Amino acid sequence: MAERRQALKIMGAIGVSCMFPYEADELYGQHVHSDGTEAALPAKPTAFNTTEFGLVARVADLIIPATDTPGAVGAGVPYYIDMICASNESLKRTMLAGLRWLAGMRFASLNETAQIAVLETVSKSAESGGDGEPERFWRAIKSMTADGYYTSRIGLRDELGYKGNTVLDHFPESQIPEH
Amino acid sequence: MLYDVVIAGSGAGGGTLAARLARAGAKVAVVEGGPKVNTRTDFNTHAVPYEFQSRHIPTMKPGKPGFDSERTRGIGGKTLLWNAVAWRLSQRDFKGRTYEGAGEDWPVSYADMAPYYDSIEREVGVCGNPDHLEDLPDGQFLPPVPMKKSDLLVQRGAAKLGVKVIHVRKATLSMPRAGRPSCHFCGNCMAGCDVVAKYNSADVHMVPALKTGNLELFPNSIVYEVMTSSENKATGVRYINRETKAQGEVLGKCVVVSCACVQSVALLLMSKSSRYPTGLANSSGELGRNFIPHFTNGVECFLEDLIGQGTSNDEGFLDHAYVPSFMHNQKREYARSFGVQFNYQNRRSVGWARNFPGFGKGYKEAVKARYPAHLVFSPYGEMLPNRTSYVDLDPVAKDKWGLPEARRFVVHSENDRKIFDSMTDWSVRILKSAGAEILSVGKQPVGNHELGGARMGADPKRSVLNAYCQSHDVPNLFVVDGSAFPSASEKNPTLTIMALAARTAEHIADRLKKGEM
Repeated sequence: MAERRQALKIMGAIGVSCMFPYEADELYGQHVHSDGTEAALPAKPTAFNTTEFGLVARVADLIIPATDTPGAVGAGVPYYIDMICASNESLKRTMLAGLRWLAGMRFASLNETAQIAVLETVSKSAESGGDGEPERFWRAIKSMTADGYYTSRIGLRDELGYKGNTVLDHFPESQIPEH
Repeated sequence: MLYDVVIAGSGAGGGTLAARLARAGAKVAVVEGGPKVNTRTDFNTHAVPYEFQSRHIPTMKPGKPGFDSERTRGIGGKTLLWNAVAWRLSQRDFKGRTYEGAGEDWPVSYADMAPYYDSIEREVGVCGNPDHLEDLPDGQFLPPVPMKKSDLLVQRGAAKLGVKVIHVRKATLSMPRAGRPSCHFCGNCMAGCDVVAKYNSADVHMVPALKTGNLELFPNSIVYEVMTSSENKATGVRYINRETKAQGEVLGKCVVVSCACVQSVALLLMSKSSRYPTGLANSSGELGRNFIPHFTNGVECFLEDLIGQGTSNDEGFLDHAYVPSFMHNQKREYARSFGVQFNYQNRRSVGWARNFPGFGKGYKEAVKARYPAHLVFSPYGEMLPNRTSYVDLDPVAKDKWGLPEARRFVVHSENDRKIFDSMTDWSVRILKSAGAEILSVGKQPVGNHELGGARMGADPKRSVLNAYCQSHDVPNLFVVDGSAFPSASEKNPTLTIMALAARTAEHIADRLKKGEM
């Protein structure tokens, strides 16, 4: 990186031949590409009560479980979902209706296999166009879980292996077989 | 102060005009609704989503104004955040009616425009490859940037169908030039380039023009009226300050409106007088009509050759390749054509994971495997002008400065629909030929690249402007941006806007010298 920066400075300096008004060094005023520091999510849920929040966390963690990287709970996704719902009344209503549906079947006290079976059914129904309260809830919580997880540092860098946002000296040539 | 030229707006059109006229010795005022923006410090160019609690990367850094409304983007306008794709239009694009009996001929030909394309490309720097295509003329190119692996896979698949995939052409530097560095491929061009490797009109056109002493900028000054005299001359503009709401005037020997398509039309519609009761320079009744934004679609897929192959640093400068129009020589059920931009999403957002089926460990593994293989295909089609697609002023809704909001009405014709279906089918065919797993195919046209509304034309009864973007009605009034396009082509319009601006600047400078303004 340091070498590239130096090279850019030199190339910039060579190029200053016409009216462009900046010193080559000045171009790099902001030019620090860090990995980025993760902004903290709210520390306490506000849209959901403790029981509801527990259910949100459980379902989110079944959508994206811990593997060799942390899952939804490990990446703070339930707090992200709570924050989104706290500022979106209709989304919150959709979520609360689904949470009541889960509470009605004592979802929290089911074993994991049974919990997954419940979610399999609603997931399939939602993907084939079902539009009842459980399906709407499923689409909402799955979307928010995916959004929250894959925009987190854990999701984007550790799980997916994001490698962009750097300074490249040149864009590399790629090769593929002819057919 | 009486300026030689007053320009409303500071984007690709306004910036080009300002620089060329100031260099030619004219006294120029640029009146822009938005603030001054420092491209080095004010944008979140190198941010990732998790740096923000909302996980959305805001356009501007905290406390930095800009891009808060369509009328107040900032000095540089949309060029600050554009993707820099820079095509020339072809003779077939300029003369569509002559060739196919559809759309509208421009009052200029490719031969008229070619020297101005040359001049602009040399001035701002456009990378690309000479491909010798009839429908996409070559230009004065800097070296092209290599295609991504995913582009090569699409190219190989398309070739099986006889369809060409070429290097993209962008006003982004592939080598250092004129004090600007080469692109460093951080992958976030549309968040604002912080080193000016990508052209923007503020840094490349206006800042140097300020050094001539001939250019004055009026930032934060939202133009709401072009003033005219009883002698049917434009005399200047009236503006309202973005922050204080104080009003002011800037006077000039001629006025150029370059506020970006819809806002230019809106400004003329707001500038009513007893002579022009339906809007300035609207004796034809065509002002606001013939609104012809491009329509696009999205096909999302995963390239099977890249599934599970691990990530690489491949954001580049967003799209590196393009499918140029290939339908003109094929038998088909419609007039005009489409081209395909693709691979211009960076890998910082993974919105598609929402719609990927399933959940649990299998879902998580499948998303990870497909992440490096994700690709979006976006075909762009040419919309033909029709009477039911237009721009007007909302009779009720006002913005926070009390100015009427502009409204857009778009109804797609049967020809547009046929192009839409054809470009969607072709996209899926090409992707399947490239070995892609299709995730989703858009069903409805989505508008982009606003064009038309104050079209050029030879006939003053059927058009607003002549071949120099000059009003047929008011000889010292010019309109230079996408609104002047009589027909849209399927190609990204900005390079043509800049070439029109260069041509108009030359025309204005000549007439100023001759004392004709």
